[in-house]
Amino acid sequence: MSFRTTLTRGCVASLVALMLTAPLAATEPSAEGTKLAFLVGKVVTMDDQDRVINNAVVLVEGHQIVGIGKAKSTPIPDGYRVVERKNLWLVPGMVDCHDHIAGGLGDLNDMVYLTNPGLRTVDTLVPENANIKRARAGGVTTVLLIPGSGTNMSGFGTICRLAGDSVEEMVVKETGSLKIAQAGNPERYWYGVGRTFMNYNTRQTLEAAQTYHETWEAFEKGETTEKPDMNPIYEGFRGLFRRDFVVSVHTQGYQVLMTTVLMLAKEFNLRTVLDHCTFDAWKVAPVVLKDPSIYTINGPRQFQFDRTQRKMMGNAARWWQGGVQKLGINTDAPVVPQEELSFQAAMACYYGWKPYEALKGVTRVPAEALMVDDVIGTIEVGKDAEFVLWTGDPLDPRSACEMTIIRGKIAYDASERREF
Amino acid sequence: MQSSIKDSTLNSMQFRAVIVMIAVLVLPAVALAGSPAKLALTGARIITVSGDDIRNGTVLIENGKITAVGRDVSVPYDAMEVDCSGKVLFPGMIDPHSARGLDVANESRDVTPYVDVYDAIDPSRVYFEESLRRGVTSVHVMVSNNCVVGGKSRVVRPIGRTPDDMTVRAEVGLKLSTSPKGGYDRMLQLQSLRSTFSELDHYLERVAERRYEEKLKEDDKPLTVGPEEARKRGKELVRDEDLDDTHRALDGLRKGRLSAWIHAGSAMDVRPAVDIATKQGFLDDSVFVIGVDTVRAIGELKAAKRPIVVPVDMVRRNRDPITGDVTEEFVPAALHAAGLTFALQPSPNSSMAERFLNYQAARCVRHGIPRRVALKSITLNPANMLGLGDQLGSIEVGKIANIVVFSADPLDFNAKIEQVFIDGILAYERSRDPRIQDLLPKPKVEALAPTEESTEEGAKSESEGDADGKKSEAKSSETPPKGDGTPNAPAGGGSGQ
Repeated sequence: MSFRTTLTRGCVASLVALMLTAPLAATEPSAEGTKLAFLVGKVVTMDDQDRVINNAVVLVEGHQIVGIGKAKSTPIPDGYRVVERKNLWLVPGMVDCHDHIAGGLGDLNDMVYLTNPGLRTVDTLVPENANIKRARAGGVTTVLLIPGSGTNMSGFGTICRLAGDSVEEMVVKETGSLKIAQAGNPERYWYGVGRTFMNYNTRQTLEAAQTYHETWEAFEKGETTEKPDMNPIYEGFRGLFRRDFVVSVHTQGYQVLMTTVLMLAKEFNLRTVLDHCTFDAWKVAPVVLKDPSIYTINGPRQFQFDRTQRKMMGNAARWWQGGVQKLGINTDAPVVPQEELSFQAAMACYYGWKPYEALKGVTRVPAEALMVDDVIGTIEVGKDAEFVLWTGDPLDPRSACEMTIIRGKIAYDASERREF
Repeated sequence: MQSSIKDSTLNSMQFRAVIVMIAVLVLPAVALAGSPAKLALTGARIITVSGDDIRNGTVLIENGKITAVGRDVSVPYDAMEVDCSGKVLFPGMIDPHSARGLDVANESRDVTPYVDVYDAIDPSRVYFEESLRRGVTSVHVMVSNNCVVGGKSRVVRPIGRTPDDMTVRAEVGLKLSTSPKGGYDRMLQLQSLRSTFSELDHYLERVAERRYEEKLKEDDKPLTVGPEEARKRGKELVRDEDLDDTHRALDGLRKGRLSAWIHAGSAMDVRPAVDIATKQGFLDDSVFVIGVDTVRAIGELKAAKRPIVVPVDMVRRNRDPITGDVTEEFVPAALHAAGLTFALQPSPNSSMAERFLNYQAARCVRHGIPRRVALKSITLNPANMLGLGDQLGSIEVGKIANIVVFSADPLDFNAKIEQVFIDGILAYERSRDPRIQDLLPKPKVEALAPTEESTEEGAKSESEGDADGKKSEAKSSETPPKGDGTPNAPAGGGSGQ
């Protein structure tokens, strides 16, 4: 498989650059299909001004959004196919930072060692599988495919859009993340391990990778003339220590999440995305706030019965109350089906969070968290055309997803065939 | 007497108490405000533990440290005063040895000196909150006994958001066990212990040899001696940073950087414990963690002269196999008779009075141990065992201001822990403890203040009147005890769980 060999040669960076910048000729539809005008009832842009435009038009050319405006004042140029759905909402496609369904489920965990540096999920992608089709019929357009939490370090994640017949078409960013499971599953490894050993061991692996990176960096800067050996196990970590991509961490509960922040964000200075963040982890909010680059992605469990206070706690609401605003929602699909991401956000609101912030928490916030907000996450000119037409507020369980547009192409149209 | 300065003192103290209570109970670790610059606890009976009791004395605290103790201490004008008249000040108690702040008591691997409890301390554990409520101001968090060599321990205070906030001293000691860990028999246990240290010797020799060669290289000298000689000469050149985590920790035992907490769970485990500690040169820096049965080896314990962590049960029951008669032996009494120092542990069982260290000390007095010894066994003795005798364990000038305010003598069955100061911070206040609201006298705000007053005024009158508080407490003590009937129940028995 040529893609794999390319990767193992360490040409990841150039490949990613290609993915991000150059529209791939192969994926481009025919010329007339590339120009689409969406006449809709409401556009929730999620931009910096939080603009919501009623009775609007969104113009798409190729894979990009080229115009947004009020329908009255924005003429549709010639050559555009008009999709007129004036009763629908146009909302950015949802992004999930924690997904396992874009790949083969049998490849979830390679539990060889307690930390497995060097593994990557891009090797497990299964384009156009049944779960992907359901996911985009639920308005999810981009996911971070990560390995499971059976071990403390289970491999590198891949950010992929949920459309495309090949790995190349799907990949948005590779490497997308390093997956670490701080605790709460890897305990079952072999005879069982506790947190003193797990954290010691994880730190050892990261230190080895960091030393590798620093040795190479010294060589590249000309500080040494001795060329270090190339080690494919640690090569992938270089971008991690450069903060080119994030560490996405399975972490929950007070002590575990606290350790994630202290060890990964503080000690190793990694750009950290906290996943799950459940149980009483929200109590760590003041520690999390000390590093403004941390993103907190809550779920799939949206509430907790706090035994010390004898109260029901809405997790997301408590994080928000604690001042954490870089807050999103995930599914851990297939733990919760990928197409129910909007429902997870709705549950967060049921337990006390704010609907608009929750919608942002499944669109713009995760895009920022994964460092792909330059291409997706909002409805803005210049960004990829990745959005969804809904019959109403996506967080309202009565609303249905009518159409999903991924990279300028209609990837799902309920009027042709409704998925569910 | 009740000057306005005093009132503002109380109010600011209350405010701090609210902060810390929220910190401990609601959000387990809101950043603790720094302690007030100067604080004077006045008018109390002071049990210093290190010396004689002081009646109607004052403790002056500056920046978290005790700067004056005595009857004639003048309170500086800028010190905040806390009126403790009628109360008893006692040093913050010390839990000498506990794994209850960790996720698991032990790792499954046998020799793990490289791990550190830092990585598993959970500040949100109810255990820490309960410790604070019971007047424990320092906890030695250490792995439990199911190991050959366990990880590095640390002394923490039961307040703070992260282990860093909590830490009093890191890398205090290592747990070793001569009693077999789960799945091991004694032969394998002792063989593992021995080979751990013989492997350390080999490792250190290899490092010494390498260091000697490095030194020669640095000095541009040729290697002229054999490996045997190089190892000898290189020994002095070995630095701590040359060792890996495992061997640095083990070597730390020999060098006295870490103390050895050796678990000898039964009588037959004492001799191997003494042997290995003597042979490896750390007997003088070791503490024995014993079981009730271990006291049968009292002669060996006496000869070793090591301080001892007393098992929670404290009583050895011996059943005659023929008659079925049970005889009981009180372990601390035997240790005291042998001239050994010891530290008591609180019971983890939340429904037993034994969960209070001061109750454990009272039991010692019942069994004939002098009061002063009993009090030391929950304060100064564990402080000395931890190498923190100069900072913790007594109310003395220069020590950390960890002070418990009791309503009566600590060994009194009905004494209540009213306030706890840690590093001079009011970390706990009984009247503000939401978990024991049902046990506290109901605030009689309406009766005291029939007219409408501002909330601030209301809060003041609530705790300003010590006399009123006492009166209503006296009333409530007339009513029959509630629930499990534990009379000494400041933490509220079952309601704390």
